[in-house]
Amino acid sequence: ATGAFAQTAWDMPTPYGDSIFHTANIMEFADDVREATDGSLDITVHSAGSLFGHPEIKDAVRRQLAPIGEVLISRLSNENPLYGVDSIPFLATSYDEARALWEASEPAIAALLEEEGLKLLFAVPWPPQGIYAGEEVTDAAQMDGVRFRAYNAATERLATLMGAVPTQVEAGDIPTAFSTGRVDAMITSPSTGVASQAWDFVSVYHDTRAWLPKNMVIVNMSAFEALSADEQAALMAAADEAEARGWAMSEEETGSKTDTLAENGMGVVEPSATLAAQLGEIGETMTNEWLESAGEAGQAVIDAYRM
Amino acid sequence: MRAILDGLYRASSAAAAVCLCVIAGLVLVQVFGRILDAALRALDMPIAGITVPSLNEIAGFLFVAATFLALAATLRKADHIRVSMLIKAVPLSVRRVLEALVLLIGSAIAAYAAYHAVLQVVDSIQFSTVSFGVIAIPLWIPQSALAAGLVVFAISMIDELTTVLTSGVPTYQAHEEAKSEMLQKPVITPEDAERGAS
Amino acid sequence: MGIETLAIVLGLAMLAALALGLWVSLALTAVAVLGIVIATSVPVGTVLATTFWGKLNSWELTALPMFIWMGEILFRSKLSEDMFAGLAPWMRGLPGRLLHVNILGCTIFAAVSGSSAATTATIGRMALPELSQRGYDPRIAIGTLAGSGTLGLLIPPSIILIVYGAATEQSIARLFIAGVLPGIMLAVLFMGFTAIWAILNRDKMPAHEPAIPLRERLAATGRLIPIILLIVAVIGSIYAGLASPTEAAAVGVFCALFLSWVSGTLSKESFTEALLGATRTSCMIAFILAGAAFLTVAMGYTRIPRELAAWIGVLDLSPYALLAALTLFFIVLGCFLDGISIVVLTTSIILPMVQAAGIDPIWFGIFLVLVVEMSQITPPVGFNLFVIQGMTGRNIFQVALYALPFFGLLVLGTVLLVVFPEIALWLPETMLSNR
Ligand code: NA
Ligand code: NA
Repeated sequence: ATGAFAQTAWDMPTPYGDSIFHTANIMEFADDVREATDGSLDITVHSAGSLFGHPEIKDAVRRQLAPIGEVLISRLSNENPLYGVDSIPFLATSYDEARALWEASEPAIAALLEEEGLKLLFAVPWPPQGIYAGEEVTDAAQMDGVRFRAYNAATERLATLMGAVPTQVEAGDIPTAFSTGRVDAMITSPSTGVASQAWDFVSVYHDTRAWLPKNMVIVNMSAFEALSADEQAALMAAADEAEARGWAMSEEETGSKTDTLAENGMGVVEPSATLAAQLGEIGETMTNEWLESAGEAGQAVIDAYRM
Repeated sequence: MRAILDGLYRASSAAAAVCLCVIAGLVLVQVFGRILDAALRALDMPIAGITVPSLNEIAGFLFVAATFLALAATLRKADHIRVSMLIKAVPLSVRRVLEALVLLIGSAIAAYAAYHAVLQVVDSIQFSTVSFGVIAIPLWIPQSALAAGLVVFAISMIDELTTVLTSGVPTYQAHEEAKSEMLQKPVITPEDAERGAS
Repeated sequence: MGIETLAIVLGLAMLAALALGLWVSLALTAVAVLGIVIATSVPVGTVLATTFWGKLNSWELTALPMFIWMGEILFRSKLSEDMFAGLAPWMRGLPGRLLHVNILGCTIFAAVSGSSAATTATIGRMALPELSQRGYDPRIAIGTLAGSGTLGLLIPPSIILIVYGAATEQSIARLFIAGVLPGIMLAVLFMGFTAIWAILNRDKMPAHEPAIPLRERLAATGRLIPIILLIVAVIGSIYAGLASPTEAAAVGVFCALFLSWVSGTLSKESFTEALLGATRTSCMIAFILAGAAFLTVAMGYTRIPRELAAWIGVLDLSPYALLAALTLFFIVLGCFLDGISIVVLTTSIILPMVQAAGIDPIWFGIFLVLVVEMSQITPPVGFNLFVIQGMTGRNIFQVALYALPFFGLLVLGTVLLVVFPEIALWLPETMLSNR
């Protein structure tokens, strides 16, 4: 109801704060759209869960409370295992592999979203996940009895397979949990490590590149269809650019944030051959377990990826 | 009818209280699990690893249930707060009109919220939405507690409105007045003042 | 409708709804509905249900009913009486005497609880009846409680610092440590004010209780042991790694039940009464939180806070002028929104200007908590006011009036923090410089 000329104003809830590169990328995406449509499609980004919290964003877009939004894809893996394919440990461990896995899984995920009246615009990966611990781990046997942060079914399974004790810790509780000894180790990206200033409470970062989880931007189909053809084209073009830019930003982020960890006194180590082999085995186990739950559709994605 | 309604409010508030007890119980199991493990570690024995899976999510759900199921009882005991300066300042006849008016608005909001909370449950069943944590909990279960609490709250609002329209005095009024008397009694007796001055 | 008109209409609607006697939670909800209907075409009812569900379904919030329950148990267990009896002989010489129990109690309890509502409710439940019974002027008793209850947000753990840290990617550990000294500074300011007030208002203080010989004084001090054990157990469970700050609240309930069982005051009746009392108080606060969260979402849709913040941004002020403008802005916003809402709605626009002005983001987090503390005691929407009205039946405007001096002290504290930024920054720099 505001605005002087014919204009579509879109509210866009996103889960992460402004300093996170995903948010920066989305801000740029919104600017691109505004520019390409001469301001007729105006996207306001509500970052850091300020409009809807992360758990509510997908359903808010589906129920037209917001026409567009961003979510971590694997957050939806309890709804359908296919959403969790990018978070199977040690299945895709580099940007090239992550891209191949995304190309293999994108049609299936887009189809799942379409069933709910959602259109997939683009997806951008987080830097690969590494293990943070108090001292260097060269053999999985050292994980025996170690309290390992788990925040969903997959991380819990990973901890168990490593012989660690899965321990629930909320994101905001990480520093307290580490400094009071409720948790000893965690697996997360160098971005999150820098954001929580992990050097305050752990000393070694193992660059295991376990998986590259992705955020995706989704749009409500009816809201999309209500746009003019020009606006739709501008939105799709901006989305393609944002995806390309986001992947580059992510790769750059991996380097710079890993450096930041080292600069702040953390030991940044490559996993030992023993550990790498053990982790690879765990990855194999978890891929097979995932295939059991994801059925034929999952098999098709893995087949396409491994082709 | 009166007995049925009072029973409904009591049952709803009892369910809310049980939710709080369950939160406390689950958290204590988790904490005792850690104490046990700490003891076992100290004795160099293998740990028991007792934890409550998805405790964070389950506790959050129980908190929602406790909050909404207690709404009606909280209204009737005048524990929901409001600014009653104006209502208390006006003559009794005007007061009755004002009470009826806020209860009418209150009933409308409560009924509107209850209706949409029910729709939320329906949507969650239709789209089989589940929680994100270690245990995939269907969201319609905790959301039903939210909806049920709001429905009972709406009923209690309409109940109070009916009471005001028929007899004039809402249930919460006695509690509200009892509270304002608390701490408002003259605090310094003359004897105190004398002693204090000496 | 222009955004300025909309802001004025919504502000007036809020005041009218509250003045009429509509319950606070419902008034917030009604204003939010109005804002969304005017500013957007989104389905309001669905937003309402989503917000009530999404914002209350939170692990951190579960500590709130637990701490309130703990307070209800302690209130019924004579432990509160013990605490006062134990402290009274020692506070005798200090002007203001037992009023300091409010401040010290809140300061210590703030180290356990992350919210000001839980701090105020727990200490108030024990202290206010005791102070009233001992003849203290309820106005100063309520004022000290309302003011020092806000320390729950500043002294770690703190929900608001977690929210700020998460929204701005600052280290929560650093923020927590940075909050310690400013918290102590405020407690000292509050105690100093109370002492001066007591000297100037001897007629409003109750008569001195007769002097107690040392032997009896020590015996009375022994009555403090249970409450000290309780605090040690709750704080200790956090630092020993046995419980998270949220879980520690349930440990507090368990210990309170245990203590009241040992002291023989635990009965089926007292247990039920405490539990139901806690259920209702927690329901009252949580339902207001739900309404406030819904209003926050409505504000997000209307873009009012965003536009206001951006407007301050274009003024291009010097750092001190910027901080003065922001303080004013937060005080105004804080009258109508709760603290966490203010942080989530505005940091995204304000933090870049603040950083551009060369202000340290950790320091700014503490500054933000101080202004948010003010919002807890400004009407019409202030959670400490709600909690205290719930306890005493005095309406929020009266309570806000009693708390006014403490609002002033918070402003003074903010000025001190601006002039001496080391108050916040010295401790984290010293403690966490492990390189
Ligand atoms: Na605190
Ligand atoms: Na306020």
